[in-house]
Amino acid sequence: MSEARVEAIGLAVELGDRRVVDGVSVRAESGQIVAVVGPNGAGKTTLLRALAGLVNTSGELRVAGEDPRSASAQANARHRAYCAQKPASAWDYRVRDLGEIIGAPDAYAECLARLSLADLSERRLTQLSGGEQKAALLAMSFASLAEPYGAVLLLDEPAASLDIARQALVAAEIRRFAQAGGAAIVATHDLSFARNCDLVVVLAEGRLTAAGDPSTALTPDVIAATWGASAQAEA
Amino acid sequence: MTPARATLAGLAGLATLVALALSVGAQGFGWGEGGAWALLRAPRVLAALAAGLALGIGGAAQQGVFRNPLADPGLTGVFGGALFGIALLLGIAPEAAWQRAWFLPAAAFAGALGTSALLVLCGRGGSSARLLLTGLGLNAFTAAGTLVIASRSGESRELLTNGAFGDWLGMATFELTWLPILLCFAATLLLLPSARALDLLAFGEDAARGFGVDVSGARRNAVLLTALAAAAATCLVGQVAFIGLLAPHLARKIVGPRHALVLPCAAFLGAALLLGADTLGRGLWPQAPLSAAAVTAVLGAPLFIWIARGRHE
Repeated sequence: MSEARVEAIGLAVELGDRRVVDGVSVRAESGQIVAVVGPNGAGKTTLLRALAGLVNTSGELRVAGEDPRSASAQANARHRAYCAQKPASAWDYRVRDLGEIIGAPDAYAECLARLSLADLSERRLTQLSGGEQKAALLAMSFASLAEPYGAVLLLDEPAASLDIARQALVAAEIRRFAQAGGAAIVATHDLSFARNCDLVVVLAEGRLTAAGDPSTALTPDVIAATWGASAQAEA
Repeated sequence: MTPARATLAGLAGLATLVALALSVGAQGFGWGEGGAWALLRAPRVLAALAAGLALGIGGAAQQGVFRNPLADPGLTGVFGGALFGIALLLGIAPEAAWQRAWFLPAAAFAGALGTSALLVLCGRGGSSARLLLTGLGLNAFTAAGTLVIASRSGESRELLTNGAFGDWLGMATFELTWLPILLCFAATLLLLPSARALDLLAFGEDAARGFGVDVSGARRNAVLLTALAAAAATCLVGQVAFIGLLAPHLARKIVGPRHALVLPCAAFLGAALLLGADTLGRGLWPQAPLSAAAVTAVLGAPLFIWIARGRHE
């Protein structure tokens, strides 16, 4: 077994008086893509934010060799990138500005090209469609990691609002990152994407209901138990 | 136009404005014999330039921190707090207030910091409406407090009333203004390195932290320095709204939204706008000049409504 790049054991998050993530354990190694699936409100976003060190948590946690809760934001950002579900900018930047803002204009331009966005680099964010905007902001996370090997990518529903062509490009970009030795954890509602991942973690009401490779974690029984009988067609 | 040429053109424009500002006044048009009139007007011109720099960059920084183009220390109560701080000191210890050059700026800073802290506590993380309503409440409270103190203190009454109308530039002398002018320049220079953090904050707190920004530190830094800028500018001009709104808005139109360019450009435009407003107020009515705050309000209020309308739509 190779070294874990993400290792969370018994991770718990309380928001107000509600336990949103309850004793969840997740592990991702270099080269692996782990899908986090579950119904709305299952705690996927909070789990990702917890792994990124953005919320107070209890339990054991190591991301890219460090506990993100005790490391500085700057130290965390060297080996870990996070992209929220609905990233948005308060100001109307040009697309190419985003690469300069993260301090990696060349890596960002290359990533834009791979996501078929190179032609839009002179446009302002408000001149893009919702999907193009999401992809341009997602590219910031990919490009911010100078060295993918051993790094960790945490993406919250990266395919949401993208057309199928760009969904495939984003999926390829995530795979490319993993093949370069990174570990990616991706929250998603897309079970066909999850089936192509190396591992799947199924959450319901903040608890882990199944985990393992897609064929064992996404069985018809698990799907019915997690999403209800009406979702069985997905199985 | 290349950035270098644009900067040169801007500096040439500002130099022309300074020359004009030194030529306008109650004594007549021109610099006077041997530049005597210009020398008389120089403290006022320098005070307007320094306060304008601080107001422009303070507005840009506050808008960046709150991710809101309607934030302006004049509208969010920070200037009101600075003037209230001055009023408190003048009300409690009118004699002592003038004993040390730093007493009044320190009181203004304490007042500005107090309202900034309340604004952060009550107005952050909500909508534009929540931020502005909080600012409106703080403005109303500090204005009322200043007027109450003014009405009770005979000797400071006229001074504080003039301050509330942004009409202090007329009494600028080098002895009175050297420290606030230095503080304006210091706040401006110290805010410039916040550009990267403000750019990343544009994407939200999580994103900024995700990209390595110490969000609490960056916010604390910007709020402190904006309060310092507001306090120093208030000591020079009194209460003046809209420069902190107008300057960053125009800066973004000219150089785009990157804070590395917006911050210096807003500072520059703030200086030009305040000096321009003061020169206009003196030029049109040399014997009874209109305050710079009144002129900027005439220009700024319609713009504020226009920006707010655009955001709403």
